[in-house]
Amino acid sequence: MKPDPDQLPDNANDAQSFQAPPDTPERIAELIHRVAQKDRQAFALLYQATAPKLLGTVLRILRDRGWADDVIQDSYLKIWQKAKQFQDGKSSPITWLVSIARNGAIDELRKHPAGRTTNSDELDEMPGRQTSAQEQLEDQRAANQLNHCIDQLEKDRQDMVRLAYLNGWSREDLASQFEQPVNTVKTWLHRALKQLKRCLES
Amino acid sequence: MTERDDLDMLVAEFVLGTLPASERAYLESRRNEDPEVDALILQWEERLGKLAEETEPVQPSPALFAKIEKALDRVESTPREAAETSNVVALRSQLNRWRWSTAIASAAALVLVAILAFQPQPEPQAQSFVAVFQNNDEQPAFLLTVDLKEQRLNIRPVTAEPRPGKSYQLWIKADELGPTPRSVGVLGNDFALDEGALSNYDPALLKEATFGISVEPEGGSPTGQPTGPAIHGYLYPTDGNN
Repeated sequence: MKPDPDQLPDNANDAQSFQAPPDTPERIAELIHRVAQKDRQAFALLYQATAPKLLGTVLRILRDRGWADDVIQDSYLKIWQKAKQFQDGKSSPITWLVSIARNGAIDELRKHPAGRTTNSDELDEMPGRQTSAQEQLEDQRAANQLNHCIDQLEKDRQDMVRLAYLNGWSREDLASQFEQPVNTVKTWLHRALKQLKRCLES
Repeated sequence: MTERDDLDMLVAEFVLGTLPASERAYLESRRNEDPEVDALILQWEERLGKLAEETEPVQPSPALFAKIEKALDRVESTPREAAETSNVVALRSQLNRWRWSTAIASAAALVLVAILAFQPQPEPQAQSFVAVFQNNDEQPAFLLTVDLKEQRLNIRPVTAEPRPGKSYQLWIKADELGPTPRSVGVLGNDFALDEGALSNYDPALLKEATFGISVEPEGGSPTGQPTGPAIHGYLYPTDGNN
């Protein structure tokens, strides 16, 4: 059954019922600044524009819809409160938003590790560099540079970085998958991160 | 390796997501106090942020935004000054989690401190760690040293003084021990504690664990969980090469 759009609450309706302007980083940044001024309409628009991205990120880490929904709710309340801390020069807007949600998801996972299990299928789900056409338009240069730098890592370390960042794997999860002591994993991660930093700065 | 490099790697792993809960909590509370740490975190988020593009968006259910709006209404209807804290507390109880940075505000709070082994790998691990438990973040209240190899602890007061009718109690918390802190022991009149009180714990666990000291009724917590105000501090390796 399709809900009658007229029955939806006003601000949920707005962004769903007509074509919103493209979600450029500039528009997202502007919405965050308006949210900082306690603008509820901007908050609804920001949610419409970004919630699918944040939910995708959190769900991939927690693999449980109800759990992910809780973290998303928590994240948007944090966004409401922290919006005034957002600084254009220091963060790209979508990264800033995704980071708040990722942090919430990983905090949850580390505190309740029994909530999900990792499995080697997730390794096969590492597609490398699939992005939607729209996302490819966004700042392609930087994306390519990060992927270029990740490509220079040894294969195992490429997978480790992606499994950790995208799927929320802990040092222990990685240690058991790659059959290495936890301290070795930590050393590998540090080397990989340093190598990435150097490569991105070059 | 310098202390700055260590901090940079700690932040990098925080952003990557691989840090254990105790170290995440430590960094999150430091972030609130230290703009430099916050800046490092933002830098690493920018470096790795493009990875998130690999994740496909998922449409949220229409009900979710309504729930968020309701929660926001509650936040905004609370008087401005109380809003920040009360909302944070509400969220926390909702998600049933323990946040060190603000836990000290609650009466039953025990603020625990991560033991961070800032040791470059693969050099030998430091075997001895020292914690400075500070009162009001000014004067050290206690010093706790933990010899990981011998699993021996030594605790001594610096500015802490005996409180009539009260006892100090030392706690340990680690993921492997479950969600709540476990008592290590109640400090005696002379602040002494059995030096073997940690001998049943695995050194690897001790290194990742968090410790805290709370003020309890005489003889120790009646509930088995910290009930009184807590003193917190940071634990450092003593024979590191920083």
